[in-house]
Amino acid sequence: MKHHAISYLTALGLAAFGATTAAAQNYPEHSVDVIVAFNPGGGTDVAARTIEPYIEKYLGEDLVILNKPGAGGEVGFSLLAASDPDGYTMGFINLPAMYSYSYERETAYSPDSFTGVANLVYDPGVIVVRADSEFQTLQDLVDYGLENPGALPIGTSGSVGSSEHIAILGVEAATGAKYNHVPFGATAPLRTALLGGHVQVAAFNLSEADEYVEDGSMRLLGVMSEERSDMAPETPTFREQGVDVISGTSRGLAVPKGTDPAIVAKLSEAVEKAINDPEYIAKAEAAGVPVHYIGGADYDTFLSNVSTSLDAAWAATPWSK
Amino acid sequence: METLQAIMHALPEVLAWQNFLAMVIGTLAGMTVGSLPGLTATMAIAVLIPLTFSMSPLVALGIMAGIYNGAMYGGAVPAILLNVPGTPPSIVTTFDGHPLAKQGRAALALKVACWSSAIGGAFSALSLMALAPPLVKVTLLFGPAEYFWLGILGMSSIAILLGADPIKGLIAAALGLLLGTVGSDVVTGEQRFTFGRLELIDGINLLVILTGLYAIPPAIRMLEQVFRPDAAKIEIKGHPDDSFAKNFRYLLPTWLRSSVIGIGVGILPATGGSMAAFLAYNEVRRSAKDPDGFGKGDIRGVAAAETGNNADNSAAMIPALVLGVPGSGVSAVILAGLLVHGLQPGPQLFRDTPDIVYGFMWQMLFTSFMLFALGGNIASRLFAQVMRLPQVILAPMIMCLTLVGIYALSNDMFNVWIMFAMGIVGYGLNRMDFPLAPIVLGLVLGNMIEQNLRLTLLIHQGDVTALIASPLSKLLFGLCLVLCCVPLYRRVKTRLKPA
Repeated sequence: MKHHAISYLTALGLAAFGATTAAAQNYPEHSVDVIVAFNPGGGTDVAARTIEPYIEKYLGEDLVILNKPGAGGEVGFSLLAASDPDGYTMGFINLPAMYSYSYERETAYSPDSFTGVANLVYDPGVIVVRADSEFQTLQDLVDYGLENPGALPIGTSGSVGSSEHIAILGVEAATGAKYNHVPFGATAPLRTALLGGHVQVAAFNLSEADEYVEDGSMRLLGVMSEERSDMAPETPTFREQGVDVISGTSRGLAVPKGTDPAIVAKLSEAVEKAINDPEYIAKAEAAGVPVHYIGGADYDTFLSNVSTSLDAAWAATPWSK
Repeated sequence: METLQAIMHALPEVLAWQNFLAMVIGTLAGMTVGSLPGLTATMAIAVLIPLTFSMSPLVALGIMAGIYNGAMYGGAVPAILLNVPGTPPSIVTTFDGHPLAKQGRAALALKVACWSSAIGGAFSALSLMALAPPLVKVTLLFGPAEYFWLGILGMSSIAILLGADPIKGLIAAALGLLLGTVGSDVVTGEQRFTFGRLELIDGINLLVILTGLYAIPPAIRMLEQVFRPDAAKIEIKGHPDDSFAKNFRYLLPTWLRSSVIGIGVGILPATGGSMAAFLAYNEVRRSAKDPDGFGKGDIRGVAAAETGNNADNSAAMIPALVLGVPGSGVSAVILAGLLVHGLQPGPQLFRDTPDIVYGFMWQMLFTSFMLFALGGNIASRLFAQVMRLPQVILAPMIMCLTLVGIYALSNDMFNVWIMFAMGIVGYGLNRMDFPLAPIVLGLVLGNMIEQNLRLTLLIHQGDVTALIASPLSKLLFGLCLVLCCVPLYRRVKTRLKPA
């Protein structure tokens, strides 16, 4: 009987295996929905529509972009988490925003609800000052924060709990300096306020500062990536300057947990080819998009790193009630 | 020079056939909408924006520019023929336009309205091209404290808008402020009035409220009055003396004077076409050597009103494009349309997408000229026919368009229900003679005021004097005081007069 049960289970397993591989082999059989959790015309939407034709080219099927905006993307992320893991629904995920909502309020998903397909964009955080600022290096800024705790306003482009806000909390935890966090809610008004001298120091993303650094109106104090960025090879990272903070925003594609790994592999492959398509590279460069492919197991590691570093940041200083 | 180059660089793309076609369609649609009493440019653009998601920004903006200019002229058609203003600013056009029509000079009145609209619009577009780029350079002077006062300035101008019933206007403004508070607080992350709904965490989309307020009530009212006066009673007959060349010299001073007034009113936040038309009309009558003919059918009256309200158009886009502060209801909707296409107003708009911003300015200019071409005698007759369109058909059409558009905004019904709710509220307020413009202003400016007040206080660690630290904020503060005192001064003056 025991033997019988085992062979039965094996048969069942084989049948199931056979079924999934068959599904994976024929995948994709029809168009794939892509959830974009932001408004048409927004940054994520434009990025999605720019790469869409190239993924289609290598996947051999149509992608249908569905805009599901709301709650800073939470509406779309929740939908993605709850959709069928059959490989016919993908979604753009924005980190760390997607994860950080889960600390501030109860969300219908957790980091475990998704399987990463591939990362497309990585934009490291930076701290910038106006070109004529007294702060020359990150150390100057740290010293000032130690001598005058809480006096120096640092503007951030997000709201409370944005990657920049968490990064500044990280700098405070690492150095003991204290700053006055001023959330501007969006990059455009913050950039104008910095250029106009209404705020002395600002934190946002490298790609949003690049142009202004090049024309000499702003100066970078440091980049929060692990290694120096190709966009600003002259600027030292925070780590090089003795402040162990890694932060940035990233945009990638994910599918709901439980999607056949063979299907995920097919998708990642198509994305990798799309990202290396010379036509796409030219387009992304023209638009100033910091393209950064991470695929397969590396992307899973990347995702769990983001999650653990958020856990640590929340444990050290909860950024919201 | 750099600006001039940027402006010229945008020209070829504007003249591409798709964009040209968009402008023609927009202008025709605008004239049609404007000639239907109750339908405004604001409504037409609000209905249209969600349908333009998939278009390229310039095509979408071309249609909007056309509607904007077209509707402001279209409003003159029923104003002249029926004594019913097609759009709110064309009330002023009825003063002399309808008497002219009764004297059998309807054709002349329509032509004068058309020329004047085109000229006012063209001057206004030129002012946008000339003034917006240099103004962008001074935006760096605007920090949180200055933006705070700018918002307050916009709110203060409601004081002038209020007119006969200030209490109702204030209630409307407060309603706008209240609606603006929905969503999560940027500074603390606290959720306000979201009732646990994910859809509300980002706040209510401006477009949803605008569409509800401006598109639904007219549709309901149309269904109410299915029967309407026959438009064909007045004959439109041409006259050899009606040519542009023959009237040019006579009307030129009126056109110039009214254009300047319209542009000035437009730049002020929150005023709009009605006030431009009123002020232009009053000024032209005051300065005329023979003011007695005004109100009895003087073509200069029609010219002043129509030049004034079209001269307001592009000028109202100056603060909208440069600072994100809309100069009127229509420019608020166009602003929302820009945001939908990912175009954030402010200096970076001019820096990052000059072809689109300057292209839009060209479109405002070209659509003004198109009024000449499209709004002539034949078209006027055509639009006189449009006024006879059965409203039973028109009203459901409007409702369907808004439903599709707002659904497309986020692909779910939540916003559609909010829009209908706002529509019913708007209809009720309309019925009780509440003005709608203060709601929009409260909505747009409330967030700006709150956010910038808090930023200023955060940056300066609670120091209130930081609000009036810079010369610019002192100036803006002074302007706010003046604006608030104007109605008070007027009231005191009129009270003292009889005594």
